[in-house]
Amino acid sequence: MAAIDCKQFLNQLDAWMEGQRTADAKAHARNCNVCRSMADDLGSITAAARSLAAEELEPPAHVWTSLRAQLEREGLIREQVSVGQITEPKTSAAGWRRWFGAIPRPALAGAYLAALVAVGVALSGPISKRVNDYRWIQGTQESTSPLSAQLNSVEQTTMASLPSSNPVVTAVLHKNMAIVDNYITLCEKSVHDEPENEVARDYLYEAYQQKADLLAQLNERGD
Amino acid sequence: MSTHRAVPQIWKSAGLLVPGFLLFGVASASAQRIEKHFKVEASPVVTIHNPNGAITVKAWTKSEVLVIATLGSGHVDLEAEQNGNRVDVMTRQITDSVAPDDLRADYQINVPQDSELQIHNDSGAVSVANVLGNMDVETIAADVDLQDAAGYLTIATVGGSFQCMRCAGHIEVNSISGSFRLMDTRSKHVRAQTSTGNILFSGEFLPNGEYRLKNYSGVIELRFLPGDSFDVSATSLKGKVNNQAKLTPPNHSYQSTSKYGQALVGSFNTAGHAHVDLTSFDGTINIVKRD
Repeated sequence: MAAIDCKQFLNQLDAWMEGQRTADAKAHARNCNVCRSMADDLGSITAAARSLAAEELEPPAHVWTSLRAQLEREGLIREQVSVGQITEPKTSAAGWRRWFGAIPRPALAGAYLAALVAVGVALSGPISKRVNDYRWIQGTQESTSPLSAQLNSVEQTTMASLPSSNPVVTAVLHKNMAIVDNYITLCEKSVHDEPENEVARDYLYEAYQQKADLLAQLNERGD
Repeated sequence: MSTHRAVPQIWKSAGLLVPGFLLFGVASASAQRIEKHFKVEASPVVTIHNPNGAITVKAWTKSEVLVIATLGSGHVDLEAEQNGNRVDVMTRQITDSVAPDDLRADYQINVPQDSELQIHNDSGAVSVANVLGNMDVETIAADVDLQDAAGYLTIATVGGSFQCMRCAGHIEVNSISGSFRLMDTRSKHVRAQTSTGNILFSGEFLPNGEYRLKNYSGVIELRFLPGDSFDVSATSLKGKVNNQAKLTPPNHSYQSTSKYGQALVGSFNTAGHAHVDLTSFDGTINIVKRD
């Protein structure tokens, strides 16, 4: 059995993650701590993503609609459309509000997390492929715009109804919400300027998550 | 001719009593000290919910939880109850429309060393010393100071700072604008993330330890000794990475540096067993020798 090096193991990583593991790859993973750790980490991420998808609420319909529109633009899926019939993504604001109002406040963080997972999948899509910067920017905006709008709407409602018993705490919350909003704006600009920058996309994703966490925390205080 | 009128004796007595009543009234509106004792078994759980004030927790050798509350006014009260091996302490607001200073309650709490702590304090300060059980601390504006703590330490603040001296165990700290100082740590797992705060780490790099420090802006400073050993990856997208450690290139090709921003990857002192990951969006990362 010929020994393989780290580069060769890396070339087999896609197959490894799909369960196709050669004897050479297994031997290398046994002997190389770094490659084994990396494969384990990837396996944990995959398992965690599956478990999140199974446990959390479905993200709002807008996110899937935006993803589908992006996939159609890239030609990855096609839909037969009869002449004169044009399908547009549904953007019912009333539907959003009804959905939002029906969800108990403590579940908001979970709902946002599910949406963030979907956004994260969209943002982390075809990393290894050459993609058109314009398509990345369009895809990113269409994936994040509905979530951003919803978070902003919740922010306005929540900040207006904060208990004012402790002005120090209220001031800190206002200040830090502004910090997070600024953080999101700068990350969005960075992703727009360098669409293939994975680190920038990670920061944008985390910025949304931070805002969702802070809003969930503020909602609990308002109860 | 003078026209002094003699003051009747009764009025003289009343004159002495009135200030006394006033003093008594003032005393009842000022700080009130309450002390409570709870007998517990090994590894008790102690929870503290307080909107405003200083919480000081210290370990002692007794199988007992001692709660000393100093209430800032008569508008708040102490609720402390025991359920089995769990002690719950809460500051309860009695009246509506209370001024912030009147909501203040300070706590001095002594607990067994292996206690598990859950502390929620919106503003003020939290200080814990020599407690080795797991800890979950959440604050909005209160600063958190841990000394000689161990266990699974989870700290979340919105704007409060965090300092950890000689802490061991597993440390996870998150904040939006708070800064962190982790000094003389002996932890195998440190994950510290803040958006606009600074992060200072000066501790041991244990074998197979993981040390992840991340912020959006501000300074991340990692201090090392000549005898330390670790693999490091440091990336700042828009800021700078300054390094004083002599690093050897990585053995694995996928450990290459990011093509965006300033980055470095390498090993300090042969193949390091600890892994250090430093990331900033537009802040400065400094890897410096300890004095």
